[in-house]
Amino acid sequence: MEETLHAIRSGQVDALVVEGNDGPQIYTLQGLDAETNRFRGAILDQVNDAVIAVNHENCIIYLNSAAERLYGVTISKALGQTLPQIYNCRWGHEDDEAAAMTALLERGEWRGENVHIRRDGIEINAESSITVLRDVSGQSTGILSVIRDVTERKCSENKVLVSEIRYRRLFETAHDGVLLLNPATREIIDANPFMTEMLGYSHRQLVGKELFEIGLLKDEAASQEMVRKLSRTNQVRYDDLPLKGTGGQLHEVEVVANLYDEGGLPVIQCNVRDITARKRSEEQVRLLMAEVNHRAKNLLAVVLAVAQQTAKYGDLPSYVKRLSDRIDGLAAGQDLLVRNLWQGVEVSDLVKAQLAHFEDLIGTRILMHGPCVQLTAAAAQGVGMALHELATNASKYGALSNFEGQVHISWRVTAAAKPGFSMSWTESGGPRVVEPVRKGFGQVIIGRMAEASVLGTAEIRFHEEGLSWTLNAAAENVLTGRNQNESAQGDA
Amino acid sequence: MNPPKATPEGRAWRILIVEDEPMLAFVLEELLVGAGYAVIGVATRLEAALAIITNETCDAAILDMNLAGVSAAPAASALASRGIPFLVLSGYSIDQQDKAFPGAHYLQKPCRPESLLKALCSIRPDQ
Repeated sequence: MEETLHAIRSGQVDALVVEGNDGPQIYTLQGLDAETNRFRGAILDQVNDAVIAVNHENCIIYLNSAAERLYGVTISKALGQTLPQIYNCRWGHEDDEAAAMTALLERGEWRGENVHIRRDGIEINAESSITVLRDVSGQSTGILSVIRDVTERKCSENKVLVSEIRYRRLFETAHDGVLLLNPATREIIDANPFMTEMLGYSHRQLVGKELFEIGLLKDEAASQEMVRKLSRTNQVRYDDLPLKGTGGQLHEVEVVANLYDEGGLPVIQCNVRDITARKRSEEQVRLLMAEVNHRAKNLLAVVLAVAQQTAKYGDLPSYVKRLSDRIDGLAAGQDLLVRNLWQGVEVSDLVKAQLAHFEDLIGTRILMHGPCVQLTAAAAQGVGMALHELATNASKYGALSNFEGQVHISWRVTAAAKPGFSMSWTESGGPRVVEPVRKGFGQVIIGRMAEASVLGTAEIRFHEEGLSWTLNAAAENVLTGRNQNESAQGDA
Repeated sequence: MNPPKATPEGRAWRILIVEDEPMLAFVLEELLVGAGYAVIGVATRLEAALAIITNETCDAAILDMNLAGVSAAPAASALASRGIPFLVLSGYSIDQQDKAFPGAHYLQKPCRPESLLKALCSIRPDQ
């Protein structure tokens, strides 16, 4: 029917023989007689495409039933109206309308697509074929439009386009490498940008290569084996493959290859995930766990040593109390180190932590003075234990055992070619001091143990008015790099 | 634990302690001296350990594997090249041990005094 219509419209047909109820009738199409027009109308009413004719004043002189349905109008109302009273056009591109006009003027016809907006607002994707109507003398008498509703087709085309854009974007922006291979040749047919970037090959360099040629599988046999496995199982997985880029950089990758059917053609998709960073972080966790283990065991060894040593001096009934005190001191130091990621401890923080039991006295009977400097982890442990012993001793026998004694704790960094760190604990106002006859474990802690932890010297003096303790060391052995060179002064 | 017999020359066995934890070094020293050994030195850092190994005469050593974050492996090599036997004390578990101490006799921290003395006894050249 369409072909017939087209042939009639384009004037290739001079006459038609139609088998009717009254036998065959001959219609000539070149004349403009009423019978011919009636016949044309009868044919045009049968076609599914909308047909509309307008005169040179743009008034509708004919429309078929398909046009009535398409535009939601009746022929009686539409006749005599202008096209914009039936629908308005929206063009895909602003130049399209002008191009259509030019085509009509120059060639007398235009074919193309646009959107027709009905009076009720419904939009139709229209594929139109428009021809200038001429009389026998060739004078333009109007325009004939044949309009096909392609809304549904457009819609599904659009769906395909949206889908294509969506999955193309996934492919282009994925943070995994994606390779597509032809299973027959095992050659790469496509690679996404992440893949080319990871390897340092251009897209063109990758296409046509086999996996072993880009170092993903070790040799041709391995490539063949992968395809063989895929044809059996549809999926092959490699958890950890080394992959060298063109720049020599080594990646560790996880590869999942799938065999798919793409509209009748088999294709292999390889997803290549760079797990170098994950592997590195797993290794870091492993090292960290080893370090935690080492430190925990070391600390247990220290606790064991403290327990043994504490048992050597003093009586058994006070043993648990003395040991618990010392373990408290170790725990306080540990907290500070962890808080500072084992990087070091502020001296004033260390003093406050080890003298936590005497918090109320800080600022009144316990006075602190010194710059804001950080001790290394090793020094903090030794100095911390010494401070803890000094405080315990002071509360039992010294300046903190009565109601008026005082402790001055001060530290400073001496300015010299080789800066030194000096710390002192000076008691006054306590009971008269008598030098102990027997050296206890406490003295070992504030003496040689403190010395060893700072690679320096410790001095203990038993003055009658109070015990004094001084510790001297090279700043570089005691302070963290952060403040070693600062001549920081001021109260902590 | 029986006190160690003296060396063939009739003096006490000289032991080097390489341990960065002062408390542990102190306890080790006390333990060894109490058991009849002579402690030739206590090194808390690798450089100090290497200096003692180079300059002093020692018969055996006890090495902490990790000295303030530095591996004691160079000290182990220096001892091995001089044929001085040594024990490695380590807080790491067996599978975390540094491969830089081939054939070393390991002791896990925390270590009981009698285990340490027994191990030291077993590596002495007179055994």
